[in-house]
Amino acid sequence: MDISLSASGNGSTKRCEMMKNSEEIVQDSDEFEGEEYRKFIDKIVKSNREIIVLSILADKPMCGYDLIKEIFTRCNVFLSQGTVYPILYSLEEEGILRAEFGRGNMRTKKYFVTTKGKEVVEKKLDGFTRAIEYILLFVKR
Amino acid sequence: MFKDSINGLDRVLQADIPSGSVILVTGAAGTLKSGLVFNMMTSYLDRMGEHGLYATLEQTKESHMRNMECLGLKQSKNLHIFDYNDLRAEWRDQEPNMLKVTEDVIDYYMEKYENLTIFALDSLNALYALTSPLNLRRNMYYFFSMLREKRLTSFMIMETAHFGNSVFIDDPTGRPEHFLADGVIELGLLEAADDVKRYIQIKKMRSSRHGMEKHQLVVDKGGLSVLGSIY
Repeated sequence: MDISLSASGNGSTKRCEMMKNSEEIVQDSDEFEGEEYRKFIDKIVKSNREIIVLSILADKPMCGYDLIKEIFTRCNVFLSQGTVYPILYSLEEEGILRAEFGRGNMRTKKYFVTTKGKEVVEKKLDGFTRAIEYILLFVKR
Repeated sequence: MFKDSINGLDRVLQADIPSGSVILVTGAAGTLKSGLVFNMMTSYLDRMGEHGLYATLEQTKESHMRNMECLGLKQSKNLHIFDYNDLRAEWRDQEPNMLKVTEDVIDYYMEKYENLTIFALDSLNALYALTSPLNLRRNMYYFFSMLREKRLTSFMIMETAHFGNSVFIDDPTGRPEHFLADGVIELGLLEAADDVKRYIQIKKMRSSRHGMEKHQLVVDKGGLSVLGSIY
């Protein structure tokens, strides 16, 4: 399977490709050396958790609970509450995210990417995909 | 340094709190536990330019800040507050391991701020309520060890019941924190016929000279102050 990410097109096309690819990769994971492959995914997701969180929220606003579930569903990696909530709070403080209580639900805050945040997200995703692409250039057989 | 972080605190702390110590701050409701720790942290961080993390398990960040403002305290830009309320509301049916969650929160902020040196947990009672009572002493030993290994000077706030002029831990059996902590600062209320005074007393402070007398603790314009001995 080709797991390279297209650097062409705008940020949101890239994001969709990245998400689509990641879903395909998880579904086809049996094709790979299971344990080794899982470790790589786990490392990549954990060391790039902020970019993963942003890319998901840019597509669909959600609360911390749903975000952790979503990452688990897509990548089979459990990001602890102790890592995800501080990311949400920090990004909110930086004005990249804004939080809103759901209608009639004062227990759950949904996180949205702000207008300022959208630019930041595009830049970060662009940098991320280009870095991955660069690495793939010399590790690809 | 901490002994200079509050006006008059050097009356009870003659030497500074050794860095990397785990300090228990105990007292009944209304004895200014959160205010004392917040005041010490914010004053220290402003002066030293280091970063600190204040974790609040029960009060929301907004409510905590309102209380601090009433005491004349402003948040240092280097003091980061982590509020567990969203996490607790959303995961109320799942019972996440709060000791592990707290360690992950600390790791996140330490990664983000290289010189994060102080941590406060408000409160240890809330952490206990959310933690399995099985192997509590062992788990708390590892939790305190983790804080020391990270070289964090840590303040564990703990509410105690208050009866007359004596202070009791609500359930001393099986509560290991007094033995495991490097220091214990007790805050309390002394009730006379027509007067109530707040006091501070250092019950224990390993590797640091300290007085053991009870000193009056008052709220001044710019925060808390420690006055003379009240014996």
